[in-house]
Amino acid sequence: MATVSNQISSDLIWEIVRNNNAYVVSRRTGGGVRFSRDPLNLKNMHTRKYAGFVNEKAVGVVPNENGGVKILSKKASASQKPAANFTSTTFHGGKSARRPLPTRLPRTVTAPISVRSPSSASLPSAVLSVPSSLPPEQKLRGNKAKKAAAATEESS
Amino acid sequence: MGLYGLNPPSRPHQTDAKMSRPTVTIIGKDGAPSGATHPMPTVFTSPIRPDIVQQVHTGMAKNKRQPYAVSEKAGHQTSAESWGTGRAVARIPRVSGGGTHRAGQAAFGNMCRSGRMFAPTKIWRKWHIKINQGQKRFATASALAASAVTPLLLARGHQISSVPEVPLVIDSSIFEGAAAAKTAAAFKILTSVGAGADVLKAKKSKKLRAGKGKMRGRRHTQRRGPLVIYDSAVDGKELVKGFRNMPGCETCDVYSLNLLQLAPGGHLGRFIVWTSAAFKALDNIYGTTTKPSELKKDFLLPSNLVSNADLTRLINSSEIQSVLRAPKGGAVTKRAHVQKKNPLRNKQVMLRLNPYHATFVKEKLGEEKAPAGKPQPTAALFKEIVNQD
Repeated sequence: MATVSNQISSDLIWEIVRNNNAYVVSRRTGGGVRFSRDPLNLKNMHTRKYAGFVNEKAVGVVPNENGGVKILSKKASASQKPAANFTSTTFHGGKSARRPLPTRLPRTVTAPISVRSPSSASLPSAVLSVPSSLPPEQKLRGNKAKKAAAATEESS
Repeated sequence: MGLYGLNPPSRPHQTDAKMSRPTVTIIGKDGAPSGATHPMPTVFTSPIRPDIVQQVHTGMAKNKRQPYAVSEKAGHQTSAESWGTGRAVARIPRVSGGGTHRAGQAAFGNMCRSGRMFAPTKIWRKWHIKINQGQKRFATASALAASAVTPLLLARGHQISSVPEVPLVIDSSIFEGAAAAKTAAAFKILTSVGAGADVLKAKKSKKLRAGKGKMRGRRHTQRRGPLVIYDSAVDGKELVKGFRNMPGCETCDVYSLNLLQLAPGGHLGRFIVWTSAAFKALDNIYGTTTKPSELKKDFLLPSNLVSNADLTRLINSSEIQSVLRAPKGGAVTKRAHVQKKNPLRNKQVMLRLNPYHATFVKEKLGEEKAPAGKPQPTAALFKEIVNQD
């Protein structure tokens, strides 16, 4: 632990803040459910598991200022340095989710395809956009497997 | 041997001693680290005890109260007498005389209009609470320790996302020569170290109070901002004037710390801005584990019952792991409390209950005809004999 002393565990912190803290939202409606406004809380629930500000490691998804989302992740090593406590990654900040796809295609897709078939250069772009990791062919079971086996025997 | 008695004879991680006293960066001009550091004062390793802090806070908060009471005469400035029985009215004292509407009205009782209140308040109520000095010192040390825990600062609602380090220590040279005597200059210093957001939050939070408090000198409510702790011998007292008009911002001399400021409302984790001189003075004021306090007589810093509260670290220590037995059972365990399956529909469950079922189905014993065929109809002679008289 990179905290001030090894006496302060996140369990202790949770016991201190669980009754009341700046993030908790208590309403009598909904059976007295308690929510949390913590940006590092993935389910916005006031529980030990999802209380990201208490835990040493946490991730959070928050809206970005100009569109898209920002994914925050807490660095356990910088718990005493609030300004350097997060790494954040922005997704689709200010851009459409669809637009960047064609520009990124060559980087992500060409390599696996060229391995598969040397003639990928002649393939239409629609084929190129097929993801490199296709789902494996389904194995047949039961009667279907027997029929398939019988069919292959007949043909051979 | 319980958890409290656990004190590993040989520490596998030699860094533990170092980890318990890390160093703190002293921040210089424009929020850049000055290069100097200072070891964390021992008071920051005090146990964090919200129960003690809350109890002491409740007592201390009562010690600034002004006595109040209603007038001794209120409700008794009339010569009312009871009319007794037989007048078909209640026996409560009634105002004598005639000529005004007041005559004949009930008086004195707490249920009467313009009567005295029930149990009139007295100025000799017990307004102030005595708190043991040891408890007050414990609570202060505990609140100081909590002020260095980032999650507790966040839980109090302080805006510290741009603060470089907690605890936040600013070099005393920045306050030299009454540099923070003006609020604008003081605010600039706070902004440069990332504490400006907390001041702005307090400034924007000013609201009209709900209820009667508005007319009793408590017109507005406002969040608390940072607490600036200084050493008047080094930093001077001019910075008090610079910070006093800053919303939510408070100042305090390190030699007279106040729990009401360190844990407002009894909630731990006040955001504190230290001057380096004040921060360095802490070890003299509270002492260390080896050196007694210079200023507090017979004071020892409170220490934890458990030398390491990190449960994961304890469980994974070689001392514990070496004496644990291997886990019992195989890789696969039988699941308890699973949903009941209908053996008539689920073949596998049926086979578990009745291994013969496989043969039964395979040999189609269920569909087999009875060996002797259908039974013969009752003979006519049998009926005849039975029906005889």
